[in-house]
Amino acid sequence: MAPVVLAALAAALFLQGVARLRGRGRADVAGRDRIALFGLGLAVTVGALVGPMDRLSDSHLWAHMLQHVLIGDAAVALLVVAVRGPLLVFLLPAPVLVQVARARSFFSLLLRPRVAFALWAANLAVWHLPYLYDLALRHQAVHDAEHLCWVVAGLLVWTLLVDPGSHKRLTAGGRIALAAAMFAAGEILADVLIFSFHPLYPAYPGHTDQQIAGVVMMVEQLVTLGAVTFVLLRPRLRSARLVAA
Amino acid sequence: MSATDFSFEPVFAVLAVAAAVAYVRSGERPARWRVAVFATGLVLIVASLNSPLETIAAKRLLLVHLLQNALIADIAPLLVLLGLTPAMRAWVERHGGRRVRARYAVVAWVVAWYGTHIAGFYDWALRSGWALNVEHAILIAAGLLFWWPLVTGRISTAAALAYLGAAFVASSFLGLAFIFSRRPFYSFYEHAPRLWGLSPIRDQNLGGILMNSEQTLVFLLAIGWYVSRLLSEEWAEA
Repeated sequence: MAPVVLAALAAALFLQGVARLRGRGRADVAGRDRIALFGLGLAVTVGALVGPMDRLSDSHLWAHMLQHVLIGDAAVALLVVAVRGPLLVFLLPAPVLVQVARARSFFSLLLRPRVAFALWAANLAVWHLPYLYDLALRHQAVHDAEHLCWVVAGLLVWTLLVDPGSHKRLTAGGRIALAAAMFAAGEILADVLIFSFHPLYPAYPGHTDQQIAGVVMMVEQLVTLGAVTFVLLRPRLRSARLVAA
Repeated sequence: MSATDFSFEPVFAVLAVAAAVAYVRSGERPARWRVAVFATGLVLIVASLNSPLETIAAKRLLLVHLLQNALIADIAPLLVLLGLTPAMRAWVERHGGRRVRARYAVVAWVVAWYGTHIAGFYDWALRSGWALNVEHAILIAAGLLFWWPLVTGRISTAAALAYLGAAFVASSFLGLAFIFSRRPFYSFYEHAPRLWGLSPIRDQNLGGILMNSEQTLVFLLAIGWYVSRLLSEEWAEA
């Protein structure tokens, strides 16, 4: 039930932020679109961790992979896009925000592009080592830690990609480079799963299951990273078209 | 015929020699790296179609045939075009190259890629022999068309990234189909004498892996190059 409780808490924080912003006459940055995006992000997270998907992930590697990419990539992307702008500040109550501000240098360090990418890539690699993967399946606490790592690593890189606070840690080109680097790193793992002729994880003996897991990872990355790359490229594509015309 | 025997598609050797002669007689003095790149592109085409590789590809293993196709459709055309000097490219532009539009080139390349691998065409090409030349000519021509808008620098960096991304995604399904298949697609290879103990289905799966690996490498390198160019442009604009 922990995911549902955490999602409810996140929803409560988000809604109070929306209400406060609207109370100040800024419904333009806290509209229904943001509520829909945030709700979708939470629904994807909860849907991945609770219910049929969670049960399926016990017996199928592809479902477990889908679970990971949904909570660490797609859902995080939706949540970060939903809170961009002033909502990001209004999301947390003032006392919590003060505590966050005190740890600013720590967050700044984590959000350095190279640090964030290195942590994300390391998380991807480490949790797919067969030993750790099986360990997580045998011990719920390790499994929960694994999922938490996915969410945190995803938050770091998607904060850089979306830049919800307009901190401009990366230029548009830098964000595209980060997306490309993430895709390349993910592709290595996907290729290992797809190209391997033998099951790598004892808990999942199905060879085709493993290959499908690789494709799931590849497709999910293509959709999420492809979408952010397209959004970042669009202004340049338009200006190039105008110059050509 | 032994797997180590040579087989030939002489038309491509003749075309490569003609291209090399035209290159030398262009009156230009290209930089050494351009000459090396151009020559490597031609050698890849000639060697893959006129060697034991051709024997194995045309008589024994799909895996090697797919390697051959990847070399002549993806890598060799790029190298040949990169080996041209700006003046040579300008000459090609004046003589029809300008008509190559990126949006049509990428579609032509994808259609050629899938079309030449359709089972009916592939089996027919392998059985008739001469049609194998047609298949390879289509792949080389499609490769040249595909890389041309990029090599000429006619499209912006952003458009080049979109172009490469679209081609990468569109082309990857064929390799995946080979990898995931549980029955052979081509009856020719199903009945061909086996080599290296590979069953027809394992041969096909490995061919898909090879094809996907090659395309992933080539496209990610090209995308990486354009991303670095995008960063340089931003740096210059700042």
